[in-house]
Amino acid sequence: MAHSLSEQCTPLKREYDACFNAWFEGYLEPAVSTSARPEERQKFAQEKAAEYERNCGKLWVQYRECVQKAVKDRGLESLLEQARTENPLKDAPPAPPAESS
Amino acid sequence: MRFYSQSFLYDDPWSIVSYAFFMRYPNPLASHILSCDVISRTFNPSGTLSTTRLILKSGALPRWAPKGIVSRAESWVIEESEVDPAGRVVRCMTRNLDHVKVLHVEERIVFQAVDDGKTQQTTEARFVSNFGWGLTKKIETHGLTKFKANIQRSRQGFSMILDLIRQSRMQPMAMGSSDSYTPSRFLSPSSDVRAPADKAEERPLGLRGGGSWLSLRSWRRSS
Repeated sequence: MAHSLSEQCTPLKREYDACFNAWFEGYLEPAVSTSARPEERQKFAQEKAAEYERNCGKLWVQYRECVQKAVKDRGLESLLEQARTENPLKDAPPAPPAESS
Repeated sequence: MRFYSQSFLYDDPWSIVSYAFFMRYPNPLASHILSCDVISRTFNPSGTLSTTRLILKSGALPRWAPKGIVSRAESWVIEESEVDPAGRVVRCMTRNLDHVKVLHVEERIVFQAVDDGKTQQTTEARFVSNFGWGLTKKIETHGLTKFKANIQRSRQGFSMILDLIRQSRMQPMAMGSSDSYTPSRFLSPSSDVRAPADKAEERPLGLRGGGSWLSLRSWRRSS
């Protein structure tokens, strides 16, 4: 896995990334099909979110704390804040309708 | 403003392409990626996952660039993505955070599941300079030219990661056929596309010594 912007955070990042990747694999292959009812999809999403929190929540908090400090130390906060307010994904190309194959 | 767009069809299913997309760094063809951090990750009420990553890239300035045009040849890049597993779409937007007056590059990528278990990638990039001094157009064109030159290379790096994932998923089924896991398969494409002036030449490629990025398989399964 790539390094963190701060060497100090790299071990925490590796641990978190490994946890996330293991979880992400299952998130990408939902047990429910794309044609499932909205309630089923909702249920799947909630279960996956809870699983993520259980497995990786602690690691995420530690890693995020480290990175947030590194971002501050490097004076990157204002750059990031500016980027955030622009919220670019809002005007991203609209998603094509889901295939139900 | 200069504009670029392209679409590309992967034979792999959407879940594998999307998975590979999030772990494409590091790879031996992306030695310009100095760091990559997740700075925010949230679930949306609709069940999609939004991620913001902060990436540090190194880059060389063109020879004609005025001295002091930027304080250093590194650039912070922000990548914002949304994964929708039910709709089978990943949307991603990447742009540079600093040197934006010199050149602002905005790249949008969409991965969409299509028929036959394939995945379509569409890429759009915009290059905008507000530099002035008669250089605006030249800078924008330079950005576009470099982008086009790099796209093949990054696709090659990405397909290495795809290969690794494909193999690790086949592992339980491919009993005893250890031949298919040897990294030699990756060596030829990687050495073919390496540009002579590239930094990757300076350090030994990780895959020769069984370096860290090849341990992908092991850390994926370790947790």
